[in-house]
Amino acid sequence: MGRRLGRRTKGQEDDAVARGFADGPLSRDLDANLRELKAIFDRCSDVVFREFVFAQCNGTRLALVYTDGLADKAQVSDQIMRALALEVPVAAGGRRIGKGRALEFIKKRGLCMHQIAETDRLQEVVRAVLSGDTVLLVDGHATAIVNVARSPETRRVADSEVEPTVRGPREAFVETLRVNTSLIRRKIKSPSLKIETLRLGRVTGTEVAVVYIEGIANDKLVPEVKDRLGRIQVDGILETGYIEELIEDNPWTFFPTVNITEKPDRVAAMLLEGRAAVIVDGSPFVMTMPNLLVEYVHSTEDYYERFLFVSAVRVVRFLSLVASLTLPAAYIAAVSFHHELLPTTLLLSIAAQREAVPYPVLVEVLIMEVLFEILREAGLRLPRPLGQAISIVGALVIGEAAIRAGLVAASTVIVVAVTGIGSFVLGYRLSIAFRLLRFILTLLSAALGLFGLVAGMAVVIIHLCTLRSFGVPYLSPIVPTTVVDLKDVVFRAPWWAMFTRPRLIARRDRTRQAPDLEPGPPGARSRGRR
Amino acid sequence: MAERGRISPTQATLLMVSTVLPTAILFVPPVVVRRARQDAWMSLALAVIVGLLVARLVIGLSLRFPRKTLFQYSEEILGRAGGKAVGLLYIWWFLHTGALVITDFAALPCIALMPETPFIVFFILGIAVSGYAVRGGLEVLSRYNELVTPVSLGSIALIFALLTKEMRIERLLPVFDTGAISILKGSATPAGWLGEIVLLSMVAPYLSNEAEVARVAYVSVLAVGACVTAATVGTLLVFGPDLTGAWVFPVFSAVRSVVIANFLERLESVAVSVWVFLGLAKIGVFYYAAVLGSAQWLGLKDYRCLVAPTGVILLGMALLCPSTAELFEFAQGAFPVYALTVFEVGIPLLLSCVARIRGKGATGGA
Repeated sequence: MGRRLGRRTKGQEDDAVARGFADGPLSRDLDANLRELKAIFDRCSDVVFREFVFAQCNGTRLALVYTDGLADKAQVSDQIMRALALEVPVAAGGRRIGKGRALEFIKKRGLCMHQIAETDRLQEVVRAVLSGDTVLLVDGHATAIVNVARSPETRRVADSEVEPTVRGPREAFVETLRVNTSLIRRKIKSPSLKIETLRLGRVTGTEVAVVYIEGIANDKLVPEVKDRLGRIQVDGILETGYIEELIEDNPWTFFPTVNITEKPDRVAAMLLEGRAAVIVDGSPFVMTMPNLLVEYVHSTEDYYERFLFVSAVRVVRFLSLVASLTLPAAYIAAVSFHHELLPTTLLLSIAAQREAVPYPVLVEVLIMEVLFEILREAGLRLPRPLGQAISIVGALVIGEAAIRAGLVAASTVIVVAVTGIGSFVLGYRLSIAFRLLRFILTLLSAALGLFGLVAGMAVVIIHLCTLRSFGVPYLSPIVPTTVVDLKDVVFRAPWWAMFTRPRLIARRDRTRQAPDLEPGPPGARSRGRR
Repeated sequence: MAERGRISPTQATLLMVSTVLPTAILFVPPVVVRRARQDAWMSLALAVIVGLLVARLVIGLSLRFPRKTLFQYSEEILGRAGGKAVGLLYIWWFLHTGALVITDFAALPCIALMPETPFIVFFILGIAVSGYAVRGGLEVLSRYNELVTPVSLGSIALIFALLTKEMRIERLLPVFDTGAISILKGSATPAGWLGEIVLLSMVAPYLSNEAEVARVAYVSVLAVGACVTAATVGTLLVFGPDLTGAWVFPVFSAVRSVVIANFLERLESVAVSVWVFLGLAKIGVFYYAAVLGSAQWLGLKDYRCLVAPTGVILLGMALLCPSTAELFEFAQGAFPVYALTVFEVGIPLLLSCVARIRGKGATGGA
């Protein structure tokens, strides 16, 4: 306990160092306050100090402090300066008020701002200025008025690039926290949607919002999320990835246990199932938790398209999940150990192709896999217009030429290509995990054939069984099996049958909708009404 | 408490199925058929009855001593010294059977898939993989098993369904040709296998609802009995009693003879892979029982530290096992007597009698 307390004081000292000043109360003297603030904002050329006089109350001096570029200049000059210096005195008809009541008067009648706050702490003032708010200091008062007038400048809400869909909303999150919360709020117009903000990162002071729906989210989940966020003591947070690695249940795994999405509709759906979301200012990705493996096989569109079609597509996705993990390994096992697995004609044709190839099949597969990885990485890093060129070079030149040159067999190219394409079917982050595991399985199967492959897969399955995300088993609802929740794993039940929320995620209010929603022709429909 | 996990009745049932079935489905049919010929199914039915009786004993003890494993209640019943002695015997039995399971597990892939690979490779991999699951605890082991067992059994059933066109019902005739003595003799080996349900006494305390233990036990014995009978009868229908008794792995040979439209054929590699998943689960259960039992015997708070040493012991014991042929000999002769009389019926019966006489535990249990 003692050690813990000790650490905390150390943290606070670090805090002061990181802030660059000591906290304290504001003074009644405007000049003293300005001196202090100017010392703090020394060499910060973007912080603006603007002093002027409030004519109505005996020439009380006022000062505005804001950050150029963050604060909305139009609002600062129109709604604050213009109002206080010109319009209020005129409207009040020259009635004078004492200096002591100036602050109250400005707050109640002077400012035409939609949102203001008060503070008497120096630290609060500094934080407000750096967050883009405009601080108004009044001479003779030890309280500052914080005007929330942030510049609306932000990237336009645009189409999702990482998770494109055919049907469904196209908008994606942007880098500004407030815009992102508004995108979610637009989808869920309920006061139960709670958005709690906190600041993380001692130097960056990044705003982080925890979003959940009260009454649907698990009681234990939200405190747990806030607790884990509260433990974070780092100097800076620039992306969700920083937080993700600091709040996972099991950091030593290939698999992501916090989901990331850039689509507001996906976040809304997650919240409605009882999950919590974490938004980080400055990142267009929102984290949702708890996260299950099946989420990476599902897409938002699954819930917008017709359910029978979706169920069929999901079968394809699960097949590609297995293929992207095991296909190269199974190919090696079949070609180098278990010829009986292949039909004789196919075996002969593969043997004929491989006749000219100088390497064992493992080397062949590794060459192609590594080439594929290089191409993929190059396609990602290159400026977009060049990406096309790379894929043409990769697909045609290297693939075709490698076969002609006798470097690899055509069957190997097919296997590696199918595996690569199969992995794109899954969520991007799951495919990264599988990419690494695939290499391990390939080596195991080259050493021990099918037995090695099966042993490797068993280890992968056992590992997945050990994982939890915020206490929820990663493989649920498949194992531990929750029979009702199998309605949304491979098969997707139609919406009128999605009666309950996932059991392990939303523990409290599990009923999602009214029973007997199954539609029908006019005569039959009434039977459902109670 | 050494184990903090909780498993559902379904998970426990599947775990018990995996405790018995994986090796039983492979080793039991030839042994039974050799003795009872086409009446093997009657031997198996008898064996299921024995299995149900063992299950009854375990259920009685578990209900009498809720939230306690075999190791804990045997100390309560027999006193400290007696309980420790019984515990030591069971640790030995779990290790010994575990080592036998590992050799069984290695036999099929080694013989069927990779005859040139030495046994020790399969031993090490099998122990390492199931040891990883055991290290994760009962929950992890059950989840792995819950995922693997339905899929594996489903695939095996599917392969057998493809064999129906080879099956001839006449091969089961004439009924009751071999005589009661042979049928009785035939039931010894499967009874020994089904008696492994006694391991439920290590798992039952961790059921989310311990009152379900009876259903778990009976359902798993019946399910295993049904599966083994189906495999035996299916093989008999395809090959008849002579061939079935002659082959080392007749069930595997049956799978091998699937030919559908020149496309679905030579499914044995698939069958072996699927079976390896099941075998790993079975090793896991015995491994877990040995590890948890030793931890409770030694009074440890956490059993994880025992996983690696136990694995090494299992490997050593597995290496001491002689050839597969001798393994079969053991499975037919000594194993049922040794396992059934002492560990599956003897000690549990003794425990429940003494508990009743001394009035230990909750009343109305046994």
